[in-house]
Amino acid sequence: MSLQVQGLHAGYGRLEVLHGVDLEVGTGELVAVIGANGAGKTTLLRALSGLLKVRDGTVLVNGTDVTGKGPEKLAASGLAHVPENRLVFPTLTVADNLLLGAYTRRRRPSAERDADRERALALFPRLADRLGQAAGTLSGGEQQMLAVARGLMARPTVLMLDEPSVGLAPRLVGEIFTALGVLRDDGLTLVLIEQNARAALAIADRGYVMDRGRVVFTGVPSELLGDARVQATYLGGDFSPAGGAGDGEPRPAGGSVAMEGG
Amino acid sequence: MTVDSESVHRLSTEAPSRHRGRRGDLVSMLLLLVFLAAFPFVAPGSLVGVGVYAMIYAIAALGLSLLMGLAGQVSLGQAGFFAIGAYTQAVLVTEYAVNALLASVVAVAVTMTAALLVGLPLLRLRGHYLALATLGFGIIVAVLATESDFLGATSGIFGIEKPDVNGRVYDSATEYFLLLTPVVLVALLLARNIVESRIGRALSAVNDSEVAAESLGVDTFRLRVQVFVLSAAYASVAGTAFAHWIAVVNPNAANFPLSVKFLLMAVLGGVGSVYGAVVGAFAVEGLDDGLRRLIPELVPGAVGEVQLIGFGIALTLIMIFLPGGLHQAFQLLVGRIRRGPSDGAAPDPGAPARQVDGGPLLVREGRPEPGTPLLVVEGLTKRFGGVVAVDSLDLTVHAGEIVALIGPNGAGKTTAFNMISGAVIPTSGTVTMSGKRVEGRKPHVIAMAGATRTFQNLQIFTSSTVLGNVKVGRHLRSRAGLLRGALVLPARAEERALERSARDLVELLGLGPDADRLAVDLPFGRQRLVEIARALALEPDLLLLDEPMAGLSGAERSELALLLRRLRAGGMAIVLVEHDVEAVLALADRIAVLDDGVRIALGTPAEVRRDPAVISAYLGVETDDGSELASVEGPSAS
Amino acid sequence: MTDLLQLLFAGLSQGAIYALIAIGFVAIFAVSGVINLAQGEFAALAGLVAISARASGLPLPVAVVVAVATVAVVAVVMERLTIAPVKAMTTLVSLILTLGVSTALKALMLLVYGPNAEGLEAITPGIVTVAGVSIRYQDLWILLVAAVVSAAVYWFYDRTVTGKALRACAEQPVAARLVGISLGRASLISFLIAGIVGALAGVLSSPVYFTSWESGLALGLKGFVAATLGGLVSIRGAVLGGFVLGVLETLTAGYVSTGLRDAVAFLLLIVVLVVRPGGIFGRHAEARV
Repeated sequence: MSLQVQGLHAGYGRLEVLHGVDLEVGTGELVAVIGANGAGKTTLLRALSGLLKVRDGTVLVNGTDVTGKGPEKLAASGLAHVPENRLVFPTLTVADNLLLGAYTRRRRPSAERDADRERALALFPRLADRLGQAAGTLSGGEQQMLAVARGLMARPTVLMLDEPSVGLAPRLVGEIFTALGVLRDDGLTLVLIEQNARAALAIADRGYVMDRGRVVFTGVPSELLGDARVQATYLGGDFSPAGGAGDGEPRPAGGSVAMEGG
Repeated sequence: MTVDSESVHRLSTEAPSRHRGRRGDLVSMLLLLVFLAAFPFVAPGSLVGVGVYAMIYAIAALGLSLLMGLAGQVSLGQAGFFAIGAYTQAVLVTEYAVNALLASVVAVAVTMTAALLVGLPLLRLRGHYLALATLGFGIIVAVLATESDFLGATSGIFGIEKPDVNGRVYDSATEYFLLLTPVVLVALLLARNIVESRIGRALSAVNDSEVAAESLGVDTFRLRVQVFVLSAAYASVAGTAFAHWIAVVNPNAANFPLSVKFLLMAVLGGVGSVYGAVVGAFAVEGLDDGLRRLIPELVPGAVGEVQLIGFGIALTLIMIFLPGGLHQAFQLLVGRIRRGPSDGAAPDPGAPARQVDGGPLLVREGRPEPGTPLLVVEGLTKRFGGVVAVDSLDLTVHAGEIVALIGPNGAGKTTAFNMISGAVIPTSGTVTMSGKRVEGRKPHVIAMAGATRTFQNLQIFTSSTVLGNVKVGRHLRSRAGLLRGALVLPARAEERALERSARDLVELLGLGPDADRLAVDLPFGRQRLVEIARALALEPDLLLLDEPMAGLSGAERSELALLLRRLRAGGMAIVLVEHDVEAVLALADRIAVLDDGVRIALGTPAEVRRDPAVISAYLGVETDDGSELASVEGPSAS
Repeated sequence: MTDLLQLLFAGLSQGAIYALIAIGFVAIFAVSGVINLAQGEFAALAGLVAISARASGLPLPVAVVVAVATVAVVAVVMERLTIAPVKAMTTLVSLILTLGVSTALKALMLLVYGPNAEGLEAITPGIVTVAGVSIRYQDLWILLVAAVVSAAVYWFYDRTVTGKALRACAEQPVAARLVGISLGRASLISFLIAGIVGALAGVLSSPVYFTSWESGLALGLKGFVAATLGGLVSIRGAVLGGFVLGVLETLTAGYVSTGLRDAVAFLLLIVVLVVRPGGIFGRHAEARV
């Protein structure tokens, strides 16, 4: 088991966002965490990587308790977090961004890091042509690739990605998700947070559905896509009246919400 | 950079509930009053002299405390205004033999004019930049004073006599202290009233969330300038008192260390607590005097100014351990004594909202007829660098309809929404609200045109109660300014009416049981309701909602939907950005769909849900058939 | 013409000192958003320590090393005691904390070294006259050291892993933490750099401008103005800002009035802050550090 999370509580100020989240990710597994805006997905990731203080609960990485450690420590213990909105270092070159990705391993032989870099660049060949370019001048898709590659440079045991598809053209999303599939096949453990549920579930081994700070459902992708409860809480519910087409009248909110609340 | 622009301007002190704070304030005020009345009679002679300086500086520190506590801005150049006051006074009484009282009125007026001229450009700056620009201002005043022969250059102006009122000459320390006592008390009272007034409330809201306050019609720049000028007036009153007391004014009056001293007094007393500045002034002057005597005893041969070492350490320690100053310490003490069951006896947060009937809400005379175009957006475009976030958006919203803006993540709907609400300046295009062009204007201008907004990630005024939050929403529906607020009485009737209307609205939205609780203590869904109540307090014609459903429970969503329908029935127009497609399809009259910054569809829910372009774009994947949005969004069990 | 050249040269020498102090402001501000109001005191302290070390018989180079090392330690201790413990750093907090340290340092210098202004001896005493312009050898040393130090600092941020890590903290603190860079350590290093450059400015300027417990105020403020002219987050901008300010000051003193030179400096500060908050050279959102 690469990542075990039990009863995780976290939040901002007086606002508690996560109310006891349980999550398990097996070694070599690709787990998708989906849910609507405000469900607490990003908060979960921030708490896991130590950016946000864990108020209660435990986090184990490869069986070691890392609860309450800061991100600097966690980065060294094999947990890599590719943040929302990429957050590349804009005035640094692509090569330097990758170099800093391996910051925790800066005292390792440079040959080792060079090999890692070659592997990351093989995954995203278009970065290889832009090594000397300032990261801020890359396109959105390339920045996302760089962010993933930077995360890989730490040689993580678990790679966690926060909404890598945001704002990207479908073709680029496909390219990135393909790369994630390759990484999973190479044996890397991945946690993928996504709003684009269908794309995420298409490559995931298992999925978790979050709603308002809790995991409300978990299962393999086919179960999630087929489950009425999941459809109601996240995918939007089956509000098309029987027969569907032709009936343009929206249903009163009361009706659809009742279904959701149930 | 680690400090985001929003938090930079905030002060670190977490304001206690106004509710509880007021009682503490009263106790403190009384204690202070007793202290001031007794001081000149019981303190030993030399200490009364120290007390006079403390009283003089206290006035300047009070002004600075207002500036920092209300406007959230640090000035490192208060001594500049202090010096302008002192020099004007000195020139008037020595050169032109003007009566001291009249001279001081002129001196304050001159200083306020100077502050206005300095403040208009400077207050466009924030945080560090403003602090350092004011520091530069202080130094410029000192240099100009030094260079001016008219002002006596380095030696300054001599021979300012002690004031003489009806034959009574205030020439001893005790006499001068007695003369200053009413001045300090009035200054204190005015400051306290301002904090409690409509203006104080608006500025406190600005400190909590500037963008939210502006969306409710608060003109932050104008208020900042007003408080800046006011704080300069306080400094100049202190300057005139200073001139008469030491009988000579030289460029030292504008010195940076004096500005630092004012800052220390305000901070030590506790920013945001007005009486704290007075206490801080006595503490600092006492410390100054004490250290000046003590250090030569401890370190033989130590020369003057070494007491600064104590100041430096005191400043640092206070900032680290007691950022709220003595005021915070006092509040903690009072709080500990008073901590009773009342604190915990909060009403049940889950108390059901009182929304039984579904009739129209907030029908208002003079609202535009349903169907009249209210908001007209034409060619609205925003580029960030090379990226076009929103590409020539056209949209018209009519009174009495609900229009939703949807689209996949990153489609530009939030940017569009922010341009309409004034939070983001468009690259090109126009936004017309009730016939008035408002594109690129600040949110308060849009609020004045009748539109206000809520925020997806909640911008609650954290230091106020639910009622206090809603009261800020009444900002544009009340008018007491700084002066009326300071003098209390003329504003009292308005304040009462405001209280009543705010309370009515709070009741109407079912927030009654929580009215006097700190808004941040409420659960998420109730906080969202507070934001909506606050927006409604403005009596808008157009309500802009940014993802109002996010984070709400099923029951809360249906309540909110009902509320929005009733508002629509009352004639209000509503624009919402929403992720929850289901809620949108059920609620909106018309839906605009954005993808990649472009409006790809606009129509009724029925039209939009069948639009193939919407289906493929919205999901970010190619769809193999023309299945309608609903069935793709919530895949059928097949 | 000779007058102008003379003034320009004096301005460059003065500007080099401002540039060094400005680098210190930038180093700290870029990483932690703190404006270190004790930056000028670093320079004054270094000057005084060097003078007293020299007076106690140490050779000049050793005295300089002692001074720089002392100030470096003071800067690091200051960061640990006052900046590191604060969880929510705001404008008010950072200004007051560093003001507190500045005030305490000033008083400490007064206590230990007394009120008199003194000058460290010049590295190479004497004056050389070139084309009618008389140049102190010390001025040449100032320009040389400032050039070398600026280049070294630039190289550090541009080429070394630690330097790049500091830039990463300045640009994207969250991402920097996620790759394992400690913001606390970055802040510490930035104070160390600020201490060293500030101290060098202090020992270099002492022979020409003299040093007293109070001289840090003016040096610090001018250094800040220079840093602001350069946009506050760019080393290159800070160095250029220093020279611009130095030249402008000496020209004002030479052609207008000595007394007004400070007023001009701060007027420039205000104008730049209001009109071009991104600095006079940089585009907005220019490269940090």
